Amino acid sequence: MFYRLSGIHHANYVSDSRIFKVPADRNLAAFVFLFGLAAPFILPSLYLNSYMLPWLIWTAAALGLNLVTGWAGQLHLGYAAVMAVGAYSAIHAARFGVPWEFALIIGGLASSVIGSLFAFAALRVKGLYLALTTLAMQFVMDWVLTHSPAISGGSHASLQSPTLALLGQEITSDTGYYYVAFGWCVLVTIFMLNLKRTGLGRALVAVREKDFAAAILGVNSFYYKILAFATSSFIAGVSGALLVATFFFLAAPEQFSVAVSIQVLAMVIVGGLGSIIGSYFGVALILLVPGLVNGFVATASQSLGMQINVETLAHIPNAVYGALIVIILLIEPLGLGKLYGNIRDYLLVWPFDQLRK
Amino acid sequence: MKQLTKALAIISMMGGLITGTQALAEPFKVGVCYDLSKAYTFASPQVSQAAMDLAKLINTKGGIGGEPVEVIVRDHGNEPQRGIECYSKLSREGVFVFDTLSTPVSLAILRRAMEDERILMQSLVGRGDAVDGTVFDWVYPIGPTYWGQAANDVAYIKHLHDGDLSDVKVGFVYFDYPFGQEPIEILKTLSEKEGFELDLYPVPLPGRDQAGVWSKVRRDKPDHLIVWMLGGAYVVASKEMKRNRIPMEKYISVNWLNEVDIANIGNEAAIGLKRGTNVVGGPDVALRHEILAELYEKGQGSGPLEKTQDVFYNTGLAMYSIVFEAARKAVELEGLPITAQSYRAGLESLKDFDANGLMAPITVTAEDHGGGGKTRIEMWNGETWVPQTDWIAEYSDVVWDVVKESSSKYG
Repeated sequence: MFYRLSGIHHANYVSDSRIFKVPADRNLAAFVFLFGLAAPFILPSLYLNSYMLPWLIWTAAALGLNLVTGWAGQLHLGYAAVMAVGAYSAIHAARFGVPWEFALIIGGLASSVIGSLFAFAALRVKGLYLALTTLAMQFVMDWVLTHSPAISGGSHASLQSPTLALLGQEITSDTGYYYVAFGWCVLVTIFMLNLKRTGLGRALVAVREKDFAAAILGVNSFYYKILAFATSSFIAGVSGALLVATFFFLAAPEQFSVAVSIQVLAMVIVGGLGSIIGSYFGVALILLVPGLVNGFVATASQSLGMQINVETLAHIPNAVYGALIVIILLIEPLGLGKLYGNIRDYLLVWPFDQLRK
Repeated sequence: MKQLTKALAIISMMGGLITGTQALAEPFKVGVCYDLSKAYTFASPQVSQAAMDLAKLINTKGGIGGEPVEVIVRDHGNEPQRGIECYSKLSREGVFVFDTLSTPVSLAILRRAMEDERILMQSLVGRGDAVDGTVFDWVYPIGPTYWGQAANDVAYIKHLHDGDLSDVKVGFVYFDYPFGQEPIEILKTLSEKEGFELDLYPVPLPGRDQAGVWSKVRRDKPDHLIVWMLGGAYVVASKEMKRNRIPMEKYISVNWLNEVDIANIGNEAAIGLKRGTNVVGGPDVALRHEILAELYEKGQGSGPLEKTQDVFYNTGLAMYSIVFEAARKAVELEGLPITAQSYRAGLESLKDFDANGLMAPITVTAEDHGGGGKTRIEMWNGETWVPQTDWIAEYSDVVWDVVKESSSKYG
């Protein structure tokens, strides 16, 4: 009824390797893309600036982490540190006078190099040990940032980002910032969608499932792990740089602390490992829900005239938000992406599956 | 169907909740975007309670220029992203005076506030060089900077040694991240200027293990210790000091030490401990007595009574006395309604304002947004805080050199 399709059948490899195997999915994606394009004209600037923009940039970042954790199966607890490398390199480059286009690429490459350097050391170990090694990277990065004024920008440790300019255009408006974030998020999403159907993506999945089984199949697992780390670090670096250039306007160590690393990992896990649409949902839940619930609880208690202590008021949203994560993972351990998938699969055959029962 | 109507009823009720509040009269609003749930909870509840109490007190007396005042308290969990959200949301609702009580959040909204021409009050947090009003024209960090506070600590030590620091050893024990590192530069400059020996003792975060630090202090035998730490680290420090037989009298803490920390250290053990401060310590404050009589005795307090006995409650009263006094001045100068511009004029006309003996007198000018940065040293005597000095702001030329050097790099 909604999808107008009697099963997914492929008659040739070209159709099998299409990005969207169901036309309705493609239409939905096109609709969302158009909505994203039109958002500055539809949404009030508060939503555009305080919700949509960080959401899109963090989604791009989360997709990068999903590449290494969801696809290649390598637990990464130092993702914020990698983002910091990108952010600081790009800003320093831009302050030095390098055009922003190149500064962003420099940021991405610097992250890539440092991220995969760590991977070299880290890949001799697996699972929880790898998680700890990447966590160590996070602490090394934190230490470097708080102890080198040359990098972090002086005694109060905040580094101003110069005005973003792309293709010779200075970007200063909310709409401009939004389109930069939107463009980057779309780019990363397209890359991830295509990754699924390439040899690289399949090799990563093979490595994730069992690295020595992959080696028997002729997949050099070490090479692909490094590649996964390098690619995801590149995405992290550029996302970190854009986050500072379009949203924070200055880089401070707290923006890339260990808590942030854990938050990004939570976004990926709640969204669903290896799920692209899940990353969008996961980021929305982890990043935006606390603020939204907070605002809602505050207004509700105010207009009901309840005398609630501000401290209690601040903790209620945290409890609600924590409960939401637990409930979602209880209902569907594979995350919000899978939850969406379940609904889609149900609608795919509706109403005809009702007849059988 | 029944369920559906129920759901509709709930939805419409919620819609009513959201829109219903906007119909009231327009008070003077202060956006208090605080961290009430994560890192700053050692001070934010007391400060926000003081803000709300003070607003209530002003409203019972008829408000400012006949208009009520309102503090809008929101939690941002010390996350820059949520701080920005709080700022954007409230500033679209017409709020133009903000306070964050969080360094990361203050940093994150500083540039926005400057561009949107909103006033950012950032007493005791954020970048210290923002006292330079010629660069940061919309930022008012009223109160001492950490640089000024450390300089005043040195002035106190100099006073103890009759003006000669040449063979004095000063140890600086600090959290090894930007908060603790900030005073190092000024202490080094002063050490060169005054000829005292400066030893640095970095404490790794979160400060639970300080054994190495304090045994090194014991070996070096500094005459005075300036301490820049927070919360739980004080207790660890006091235990290590006891173990190493370092007397509490040597200890001068940053302003972030309150009665809760004293209780944790142990009242007896804490006797002799000193702290730099810009507000009067102890519950015997005129403004607090007035609030107790007008609000708490009538059951109108904004929180538990115990919290009003905390020195951070006094800090909050001081911060918001300034906020509301500036609004009053703004009405005096340019009348109602208060705008961002007239409020700024109000702030910059504050002269020797000490909120009825509550805090160090401040004088805000267009150049000095810190209000003079006066502090004094107080000592815990087992019951209350005993002042050791007058309100002082020494070495201001050295402090302003650091400020100017740092603020010139902004932009």
